[in-house]
Amino acid sequence: MGLLKKKDQEQIKDRLAEEMKDTVKIILFLTEDESKCHYCNQTKEVLQEVSALSGGKLEVEEYNYEQNKELAKQYGVEYLPGFVILDKDSKHYNVIFHGAPFGHEFATLLEDIIVISNGANPPVSQEVVEKLKAINKPVKIQAFVTPTCPYCPKAVLTAHFFSMINPEFISGEMVEASEFPELSAKYGVSSVPQMVINDGANSFVGAFPEKEYLEEVLKVL
Amino acid sequence: MIDVVFFDLGDSQGSTETKDQYDMVIIGGGPAGLTAAIYASRGGLDTLVIEKSSEGGQIAATEKVENYPGFISIDGLELAEKFSDHARHFGATISNRGVRNLTFCCDKKTIVMDDSSEIEAKTIVIATGATHRKLGVPGEKEYEGKGVSYCAICDGAFFRDKHVAVIGGGNSAIDEGLYLTQTASKVTVVHRRDKLRADKILQERAFNNPKMEFVWDSVVEEVQGDAFVNNLVLKNVKDGTQSDFPVDGVFIYIGLVPNSALLKNLLQTTHDGFIKVNPVTFETSLPGVFAVGDVIDKELRQIINAAADGASAASSAIKLYF
Ligand SMILES: Cc1cc2nc3c(=O)[nH]c(=O)nc-3n(C[C@H](O)[C@H](O)[C@H](O)COP(=O)(O)OP(=O)(O)OC[C@H]3O[C@@H](n4cnc5c(N)ncnc54)[C@H](O)[C@@H]3O)c2cc1C
Repeated sequence: MGLLKKKDQEQIKDRLAEEMKDTVKIILFLTEDESKCHYCNQTKEVLQEVSALSGGKLEVEEYNYEQNKELAKQYGVEYLPGFVILDKDSKHYNVIFHGAPFGHEFATLLEDIIVISNGANPPVSQEVVEKLKAINKPVKIQAFVTPTCPYCPKAVLTAHFFSMINPEFISGEMVEASEFPELSAKYGVSSVPQMVINDGANSFVGAFPEKEYLEEVLKVL
Repeated sequence: MIDVVFFDLGDSQGSTETKDQYDMVIIGGGPAGLTAAIYASRGGLDTLVIEKSSEGGQIAATEKVENYPGFISIDGLELAEKFSDHARHFGATISNRGVRNLTFCCDKKTIVMDDSSEIEAKTIVIATGATHRKLGVPGEKEYEGKGVSYCAICDGAFFRDKHVAVIGGGNSAIDEGLYLTQTASKVTVVHRRDKLRADKILQERAFNNPKMEFVWDSVVEEVQGDAFVNNLVLKNVKDGTQSDFPVDGVFIYIGLVPNSALLKNLLQTTHDGFIKVNPVTFETSLPGVFAVGDVIDKELRQIINAAADGASAASSAIKLYF
């Protein structure tokens, strides 16, 4: 039966067949304790369904978080469900998801998979790429979203695209705010998308165009 | 079942890559622009839609739509998806980018994109829609994202079991207010008149909803708080008295401003920026440039007539220029 609707399945299949080039691997961290993670099972199921629709191009590797804390830490996964998207050589671009990629964020997930499968060359202007490459201190961008927010995917993708360009220093995270109320409260998130940079050194609300977005990010350096 | 959204977000790939010349370029992918795209593509025009944010425009941020014929009730998002699928089905390309500038010179119409690339068009349709109007009172900007919101479906989740105010008395205010009653403990509608402007059926639902309350004849003078909004200063417009109104959040739905800054000084507009068009052809004061939907000067701003404008404009463009 599955969680994805039949019509959606067909679209996902067509789109992945058309646009994926190389294989991509998702490393997913879960816990068995449902009280600690309401969306672990559904996230796992949906990712498995997407994998099954990818014609063998998307692999999903699951890890028990409690037993693999060290590994999760290496990948930057702190909350559950949490996952990252790696390229064919298992290269990590610091493209991180905390929470279920449902609603509007599903579009983000597909876009990330496709971009990474095509060599992680995101559509970002040359001017911004150069400034991103010049960053040489750690920058963590957490994009807080809700699945019903139509302006949010753009904000998450911008964070992910930035980290693809300079994964050594930049990490881009989606954080599904309603699944992590304490974290959201910590940064006073009440409108999305809200970007929190370096654990609160700066934050801003709204899906800014890439240049303005970058300016906000650079303020923490 | 899980709801997932399929808007194609990008030019990440060859498939949505844009060319540098089109018969028709439509700026804005809301109902007006997407309908223009359906008519233009079916009419044989090579058509590009440029949408900088979310396909479907304002409807992608609307909880439920109940007055678009054929759907007794449909999620705004679902309707938005249907519109964009429909436009793509007949061959229109939808590009997820922003337009920075337009230049009209010497018989050429050039669209300058945010990334400075240029696209030439034989005809242009402006379908940039409108954005929420701000209150323009002290504290509003300061508390944006800290309790001041303009999008109930985006931010409703943060006000679970809290008391929120909705400012406005039209359809959007009441619709989104009713949506907020699903999570909030209480929703108070603050309206500057003594009756609502919203459709009768919405009014009835609002009056019958035990979580909804009303403050009439009142306007917001100031938004106050600490780290977060905790109070509105209200003024009664009848007797001029001021009062404090403690709330945990405020959602503002007091009307629209047209997204026409791009066109400033290029086209004839009303004093508040709505574009003037020929009511039959939807052509603007510039030949070959059409405007449709919420961005134009008109009485009713709804999906149905945004779509109708799009159809008329595409069809007149075909007759006049191809
Ligand atoms: C909360 C709410 C509830 C509503 N409920 C209903 C309802 O129940 N029924 C109904 O009929 N109507 C409803 N409406 C009104 C309806 O949504 C609008 O009338 C309709 O969406 C107008 O369509 P449009 O295509 O003209 O503009 P919009 O929907 O505003 O779309 C314009 C698009 O243009 C894009 N754009 C703007 N500038 C640029 C640029 N420079 N470059 C690229 N893209 C750009 C924007 O991102 C946007 O997506 C509601 C509106 C709101 C806010």
